[in-house]
Amino acid sequence: MSTPRQLAARRQLLRRLGLITPSMLVLAVFLVAPLAIMLLVSFLQPGDYGGVKWGQYSAEAYINFLYERDLDDSLVFNTDYLGIFQRSLGLAVMTTLGCLLIGFPTALYLALQSEKKRNLLLFLVTVPFWTNLLVRVYAWILLLRNGGLIDSGLGLIGLGDGALGILYSDAAVMIGLLYTFLPFMVLPIYTSLEKLDWRLVEAAFDLGANRFQALKRIILPLALPGMLAGTTLVFIPALGNYIIPELLGGGKALMIGNLVQLQFGSAHNWPLGSALAFALFSLVLLALLFNGLRQRRSTEVRI
Amino acid sequence: MNLQGPLWRFTGVRPAAWVFFAFLYVPILVLVALSFNSGQSATLWQGFSLKWYSVVANDAEILRAAKNSLIVATLATLISTCLATLAALGMHGPRFRGQGAIQGVLGLPLLVPDIVCAVAILMFFAFIGLKLSLLTILIAHIVFCTPFAYLPIRARLQGMDPRLLEAAADLYASPWRAFWRISFPLLLPGILSGAMLAFIISMDDFVITYFVAGAGSTTLPIYIFSSIRMGISPKINAISTIMLLISIAFVALSYYIGQRKR
Amino acid sequence: MSSAISIESLSMEYGTPGSGHKALDDVSLEIRDNEFFTLLGPSGCGKTTLLRLIAGFEQPSAGIIRLYGEPMQDLPPFRRPVNTVFQSYALFPHMTVAQNIGFGLEMQGKPKAEIAATVERMLALVKLPHVAERRADQLSGGQQQRIALARALASRPKVLLLDESLSALDMKLRKDMQIELKRLQAETGITFIFVTHDQEEALTMSDRIAVMSQGRILQVGSPTEIYEAPVNRTVADFIGETNFLAADAFASGVRLADGQLLSVVSPTPGPVTLAIRPERISLQDSGDLQGEVEEVVYIGTDTLYLLKVAGQSGFRVRQQNRLGAAQPLKRGDAVRIDVPSAAIRVLAE
Repeated sequence: MSTPRQLAARRQLLRRLGLITPSMLVLAVFLVAPLAIMLLVSFLQPGDYGGVKWGQYSAEAYINFLYERDLDDSLVFNTDYLGIFQRSLGLAVMTTLGCLLIGFPTALYLALQSEKKRNLLLFLVTVPFWTNLLVRVYAWILLLRNGGLIDSGLGLIGLGDGALGILYSDAAVMIGLLYTFLPFMVLPIYTSLEKLDWRLVEAAFDLGANRFQALKRIILPLALPGMLAGTTLVFIPALGNYIIPELLGGGKALMIGNLVQLQFGSAHNWPLGSALAFALFSLVLLALLFNGLRQRRSTEVRI
Repeated sequence: MNLQGPLWRFTGVRPAAWVFFAFLYVPILVLVALSFNSGQSATLWQGFSLKWYSVVANDAEILRAAKNSLIVATLATLISTCLATLAALGMHGPRFRGQGAIQGVLGLPLLVPDIVCAVAILMFFAFIGLKLSLLTILIAHIVFCTPFAYLPIRARLQGMDPRLLEAAADLYASPWRAFWRISFPLLLPGILSGAMLAFIISMDDFVITYFVAGAGSTTLPIYIFSSIRMGISPKINAISTIMLLISIAFVALSYYIGQRKR
Repeated sequence: MSSAISIESLSMEYGTPGSGHKALDDVSLEIRDNEFFTLLGPSGCGKTTLLRLIAGFEQPSAGIIRLYGEPMQDLPPFRRPVNTVFQSYALFPHMTVAQNIGFGLEMQGKPKAEIAATVERMLALVKLPHVAERRADQLSGGQQQRIALARALASRPKVLLLDESLSALDMKLRKDMQIELKRLQAETGITFIFVTHDQEEALTMSDRIAVMSQGRILQVGSPTEIYEAPVNRTVADFIGETNFLAADAFASGVRLADGQLLSVVSPTPGPVTLAIRPERISLQDSGDLQGEVEEVVYIGTDTLYLLKVAGQSGFRVRQQNRLGAAQPLKRGDAVRIDVPSAAIRVLAE
């Protein structure tokens, strides 16, 4: 027998589930199911003109990852895809490090300003979040292209020759990634620093630490949660980025995202595209897992 | 605490911040300046003119793309904000079994890389035989806008003193009336910022839209992308500037409202 | 006198039944019409839980709550003619003071003119006639407190519940509000149930007090009864300062651990505890109890002596500092303590 209290609790739970159901339905049908189908597709045979051959299972897509089928049907080791994964990871790691390097001092600068100035600067940091990424990347094309502003600027002081050669290279992709994701690093670090009790730093000064030592021993460790959060926020979208390599890499400096897109475009190989997309998703989940573990450890230390 | 004294001047911090802001804003300023160029070149300054803005304003293709973007963003914002508000209300309260999983699904669109999301939804539409159109764009946008709308509403709800609802019940308000008189007005800022976030995200999305857009359902970002691919032009400078200014006006407005509330 | 609230075997258990934490354990209580009733106890004793059950914010695991004879434990809070003054005040931040005060009447569908008149009357009652159009968060803590009171009183509840309502105020405001609350209760004739952990506050304000500990009611009585005749050691310890001495009772008196005798009547023979209030006893050469000075603490109006009595340290005696009564005692001095038998309360173990 249930008491009135249990009945009330059950009614309450049903009402809450009712409120959650609509969004769950939408996300389950249009996101969870598609992702599940994608996993299934990665184990199917590609159709002749896109699509798949249902019922014909194979691990071909994953084999394609590492090997190429030669004319005589034998498997030949092929590092093309692996190379692109490696380059994507490399670019994402470099972007993250670059963001940390510029982002931390910027966040510290923000945290040390008077409240009025800080609010204005914070506003300036957040503006790029709200502006179209394509437009901002486009602005870099204007700057970086041969005969573009940087090139002609260098020409004026006698350094450029009208062939800067940065656009459509790894360097251009790096610049674009850094530019896009820097604010994602600054904001979480700033949030950590804003909560910091500056009297701790005063105590360090009082105990004889100089600025560098105080920075290293007090501020940096206490800003670590923000840096970890920022690392996740930068690394994950940088790894899977599609627009920046497409526009600034110009089809030469490919990343995983472009590779996936190719399989659904001209290559007509949906299973391979699905397998690649799934590999990308797994990398992201791994990164999150890693970060989650690190974060748990750092909170354990604090308790 | 006063942190502006000489004690707090860490070496290199100020220059790094200036590099950061220059890096962030110089490209944008250059783009805006070049949109007023009178010549045919996208990068060589030949004099001030508004001519490219009138070109943009009279381009039927751009106007159609803008209209599509607005339709999709408005509907996606309305629907995803409603879904998110209901979900946030349902998630509020004592934890129940399975709540973690639900939370995970609600945050999933934020975890899945754009491109993965795009191809998964594209294949799904292909397999269920739904023809690509504005409708497919709308569905995809609702999916990825929902968590963006959800987060500010949830945060606002968590910041709300639960005693307020008890006080309302104590003063003879039924749960329904307590919701409309207390919860809703207090949640409204969260709902508005959630809706604004959803609107901007939807207006700006390129990757997912690019995959699930049917022929003839071009949105503004898709239009800009294909124009850039065909080569830079002063026309793109002008339309880009317009989009930038609209976004900045939007943020400035929300910033101003936020400041005034304090 | 009729009873305003009657509580029968009320229990409240969190977690799984049988093994969970018992916030309230089989509590029964009668609260009379038009009385100022206080639930007193340390934090976590269940007093706030009891209040929240009366208000209807939580459902009991078992038991009945009657309001003027009507069972109401199954009614939601918005159908109970009982209003609460919250510890944090819980004033609606997006409404004006007038809207806050009028909220309950509005929910009951009262006409606008009546609401406006009541709001005005309530503001006058709490002596804040000019703040009607201000937003609640523009008021000081003391003002918010008064508005919270006005809001809870506006719909003329049969019972007013006050949850640690004065604890957020500073000392002086608090003293003022204590007097103010007594006045309001007298003027409105509403039954007040007040929850506090402050024993002094409870003693000054209440008609009757229920002392609670670990989900149970230990004693119900007037402030005098609670102070003068605590039923057990926990109550005596919680209310005021008390010296406890272990003793052995026999027919005509009690014997302390070191063999000293005191003539006091014990209800039971065998081991007992003596509870002795420090301000009821004095240091006198003719005293019947012997002790040794351990510490002398000067506190302005009084001097507090910490003594060693019957091998037990920390026995307190308070002496008023009268003019000329200077007898500078120091550590190690032997003293005699006068303990009138009326000052001793014998508690059976």
